Amino acid sequence: MFDFLIGLLPHLLNGVALGLLFALLSLGFMLIIGVMEVINLAHGSLFALGAYFAVMLMGQDGGLPFAFMQSYYDLPAIPRYIIALIVAPALVGVVGMGLEICLRRTYGKDPLYGLLLTFGAALVLEEVIREIWGPAEYFLPLPKAISGGFFFGDLIYSNYRIFAAIFAMAMIGLLWAFLNRTPYGAVIKAGAHDSEMVRVLGYNLSRLRLYVFAFGAALAAIAGIIMAPIWGVRPHVGVDAVIPAFVVIVLGGVGSFWGAVSAGLLVGMMVALTAAFLTEWSLLSMYLLLLVVVTFRSRGFAGKASALEQ
Amino acid sequence: MSILPQALSARLANWFTAPMLVSFLVFGTMPFWIDAVGLYQYLGVEVMIWVIFALAVNLLLGYTGLPSFGHGAFLGIGAYAYGLTQFNVAANLWISLLGAVVVTAALGGLVAALISHRRGIYFALMTIACAQIFYFVASKWTDMTGGEDGLLNILRLPVDLGLTEFSIKSNFNLYYLCFAAYVIIVVLMWRLVHSPFGQIIRAIKQNDSRVAFLGYNVWLYKWLIFTLSCAISGLAGALFAMAQEGAYINIMSLQWSGIVILMVLIGGGFINFWGPVLGVIFYFLARDILGAYTDTWLLWFGLIFVIMVMFKPEGLAGIWHDAQSMFGRRKAKPQPDPSAKPSHAGGD
Repeated sequence: MFDFLIGLLPHLLNGVALGLLFALLSLGFMLIIGVMEVINLAHGSLFALGAYFAVMLMGQDGGLPFAFMQSYYDLPAIPRYIIALIVAPALVGVVGMGLEICLRRTYGKDPLYGLLLTFGAALVLEEVIREIWGPAEYFLPLPKAISGGFFFGDLIYSNYRIFAAIFAMAMIGLLWAFLNRTPYGAVIKAGAHDSEMVRVLGYNLSRLRLYVFAFGAALAAIAGIIMAPIWGVRPHVGVDAVIPAFVVIVLGGVGSFWGAVSAGLLVGMMVALTAAFLTEWSLLSMYLLLLVVVTFRSRGFAGKASALEQ
Repeated sequence: MSILPQALSARLANWFTAPMLVSFLVFGTMPFWIDAVGLYQYLGVEVMIWVIFALAVNLLLGYTGLPSFGHGAFLGIGAYAYGLTQFNVAANLWISLLGAVVVTAALGGLVAALISHRRGIYFALMTIACAQIFYFVASKWTDMTGGEDGLLNILRLPVDLGLTEFSIKSNFNLYYLCFAAYVIIVVLMWRLVHSPFGQIIRAIKQNDSRVAFLGYNVWLYKWLIFTLSCAISGLAGALFAMAQEGAYINIMSLQWSGIVILMVLIGGGFINFWGPVLGVIFYFLARDILGAYTDTWLLWFGLIFVIMVMFKPEGLAGIWHDAQSMFGRRKAKPQPDPSAKPSHAGGD
């Protein structure tokens, strides 16, 4: 029994790391739902784009378009990794801003239009990725400090997953602090509650929406960079990412921060544990969980009524 | 129409309309001119099958306001069920077709029972979850479905009409089987959406709470229309299995479920019965024409779609209506604008 539990431990750790990353991904998704009432189906593509930008900034043989940038690759790996973690999300945030400007025409209409527009955008982004980087799979090189593994008893466990879990936890903590302890966060939360009222109070709603979309896109990109060494980087990875984000949001309930985090952890655990025993069926468990929970609790664990139910 | 007695022509007008007859004329003669315009017979078969499927999707999306984002799963189930009935029950076209329709309707009815109390985005999410479950089961249940390889060697069984039978081995003949299915589906579907039942499902789209207050069982109506849509998708799936001579997992992926929604929308399924037909034709022409010039035709198609949602969400049918009112061929009658629905519908 004890051996069994020890054997289970790496899978539980995997589940926690995966779950925290799912939570991080879905929090960006939820910010966008909250303020813009748009289901951003392109969120997965932004996730993938983040990973590709990071590959470009980390890769050995480059991929940076201009010759004068080549000296950048002489930097040691750790500063480059830090730069990738900052620059790639910023670039994706700019892409997100472009998407938000396209989305403006759908505000106030049936939420279905926003969803369809982002579906089209996801199609376009995936094809753009395929065009620029090709269909091959990339791997994100990592600094030595966070790669490799360590022994845990007789089990070898990868350093990177520990790093990913801690990093995601820190990001979630920072995000919580930003939303709850700063005046910007207060405006965003107010925007999610009633965006018209925020406008009435004199805030520039268009600009708020632009920034929140960019912020959500940047969170997707960060999740993409952190997930890249675990899942690999390929054009289709966006679809693999957006569906769990969906599931997490519906399970946790739209509009609930801790609902999303707990649902993310639950989904991560579920996927990792079924992967340990029934590898083939690991993704299926997630949908079964969703179906069961939503049949009995229609707004997930902690959801509130939202415009999406219209 | 003067050659017909008044009463008869009025009754016929209930069943047939001018655009319907035009579509019959165009599709009915298509195999004779499709080669001449530089296209090929198999394209006609594909168009016909996807038109039937897109009409089934639009019954939910356009008429009842139920966004089913996982409908590709039912197309796939129809294809597998057709093949499995053919292999395990009887190698007869009609029995296999019946098998495909019954199995798809049964599974669709099961899904509908789980989700008919939902609406809007939550409905869409539940259809995605159910479709993914079907996808994974189909891809892993190798003994039954052939897994990733698919179900191979599905036969194009001869069409047995009692007195005579003809083979559908050639795409030309298969096309006419699909066309016959199209004619039946279109006539029946047109009657359905213009029947009292059709009025209720359209009312559900507008405001389901009010329909419920009037005493209708909204859940039952949603269940019925979803199951019916799945049955028609199953028929399309069976035809697809014949066309491809196999059933493959790829068709059940979310990608294809999304693309059929895209076809319906680009054609203008929200405002016009014929929207899905236009959309499917547009999609396949874009695939073959853009695809001849560039490998990334899906990029350009996606861009066209995004621009359309931004500027003309009523799709090709909307452009057609605009053109008609611009040239004054009929008085610009106020279009039922789907975007007019406020995001917080009043009254409930």
